[in-house]
Amino acid sequence: MERLDIQGRGAIAGRVEGYALVCPESITGWGGIEPATGLIKDLESSNRGLSIAGKILVIPGSRGSNGWSCYYSITRVTGASPKGLLITRIDSSSAVAAVGLNIPTVVDFPAESDPCRLIQNGDYVIMDGAAGLVSISRAPK
Amino acid sequence: MVKLTRDEQAMLEGAEGPLKRRALENVIKYAELVGAESLCPIRRATTFCGKHSYLNAAGDLNFREMFSRVQMGSDEILELAAIEPGCQTQSCVSPCETFEHQAFRQSKDLFAENQEYLKQSRAMGIVEVGTCSPYLNGWLPLPGEHFVTTESGMTILGNSLWGACCNSDGIEAAFWSSICGRTPLWGRHLPEGRRASIRVKIDFAPGEMLEWDLLGRAIGRKLPLHSQPVLSGDFSGADFNKLRQMLTALAVSSNCEICHIVGLTPEAPTLEAAFQGQDPAAYPEISLTRADLALAYQSVCDPGQGPVGLVSLGCPHYDIYQLQEVARLIKGRRVAPGVDLQVWTTLAIKGLADHNGFTETIEKAGGRLYSGSCPVTINSDYISGYSGILFDSLKQSGSARLYAAGPVYYGSTAACLEAAMAGEWKDDYRWKG
Repeated sequence: MERLDIQGRGAIAGRVEGYALVCPESITGWGGIEPATGLIKDLESSNRGLSIAGKILVIPGSRGSNGWSCYYSITRVTGASPKGLLITRIDSSSAVAAVGLNIPTVVDFPAESDPCRLIQNGDYVIMDGAAGLVSISRAPK
Repeated sequence: MVKLTRDEQAMLEGAEGPLKRRALENVIKYAELVGAESLCPIRRATTFCGKHSYLNAAGDLNFREMFSRVQMGSDEILELAAIEPGCQTQSCVSPCETFEHQAFRQSKDLFAENQEYLKQSRAMGIVEVGTCSPYLNGWLPLPGEHFVTTESGMTILGNSLWGACCNSDGIEAAFWSSICGRTPLWGRHLPEGRRASIRVKIDFAPGEMLEWDLLGRAIGRKLPLHSQPVLSGDFSGADFNKLRQMLTALAVSSNCEICHIVGLTPEAPTLEAAFQGQDPAAYPEISLTRADLALAYQSVCDPGQGPVGLVSLGCPHYDIYQLQEVARLIKGRRVAPGVDLQVWTTLAIKGLADHNGFTETIEKAGGRLYSGSCPVTINSDYISGYSGILFDSLKQSGSARLYAAGPVYYGSTAACLEAAMAGEWKDDYRWKG
């Protein structure tokens, strides 16, 4: 089992662990995910058809419409919320989404620790939203 | 730690009621998350007020429950209260046309529920306008004025063209800010947050409206995330509608909130000015050619030809001169049977179109002039009910293909009207570059 620790800025406190879903091209706004299930509908996403529900969602930031954060905030009500958020660089839309989700969140990673580059789908992630520490475990192939 | 004024501290302690307290708590959390040191007052907002389709997933909640749980993120059902006095707030598009529902295959109950949401929003002090283009009705921020909006096009237009200050935020945050009258003093609200971060050279002069729309998407597809471009090139053909089309397409194709244009936008009288005195050569540069427009076109217009059931014009909502042009192009002609030709504008502009006879001309030809919404805001079922659809807007074409059951085409306004008359999209109508 390979293991790597990276450090970002702790944004919303809480310790959580789970499997990563990495969206290096982000997910488009206004219809990019299905609010009831968390399924990704974005036609340009490499993860189309997968769900953000229960995952550690790893994104570089937001993409597309101002109607971006609302598709994440509502998953707090529908039960399709991710467990934790790792955002390479915070921006206004992803910050509002994080507030709406109110789940452990780590943001603003140094260039050499970009989680979108270092984490792969299915990696097991333990994250501390207060300290900003992220531990990544990858099962051998 | 966010520094609060005495008034903000009192609001946070509940002096102005639980709704304002909750709204301010959310804005403070947002400010802490981005690292803002203080808040700034806002006097202008647009908000997303209707019973939008994404809300259906939250279950059968009344307005107050929905507002508390989804928009305010509160498990406690909050007492509704007025928005901040002095913050001029209006509604963005809703999922229903202002007056009609049957034409959009919507039930009477759904229409009534949306009306109830709008009525409750009006009771909070939000003026029901129902447009993505608030500036058409005189909602215009001054240079340096801080505002919030739910419309991507308005965000980037306000920042870029008018020198006003706005972040994209989000639908929930626009409500928070309208209610408490504050937003984090961060990002585009600070001078340093407006500095260009990348040079974009355009090696051709965009011509017709469609090319400006495509240019926005082409830039958006090439920009690294979080970029703030400054464009250089021949923009002598620009007018306001071409710029709003381009900037809107750019915003929804990236996460760009401000775009400077050398010699055109107020913070870029020169290339150097856009970098606020820093050396432009220290920043990366990308170039665009007409080949990039062709790639952008392919991404939003399906190949081939075939029948169309819906032809929709007016995203962003048309101004009165665009309606005049549609009336001129369509006068004396007839839309093909089985084609829904829709033209979208604001309720106020529709009043002017009625008065000037443009509405009558469009309706005599078999088209309809609508306000308050647009096809991709109505709902996914509506879009998927057509086997072929056609837009003169990249934003509509891009979003509609998430739900469409058949091909989605995209062309110039004149090409769209020709297709509406013919009842089909033909290769002849395709943009050839």
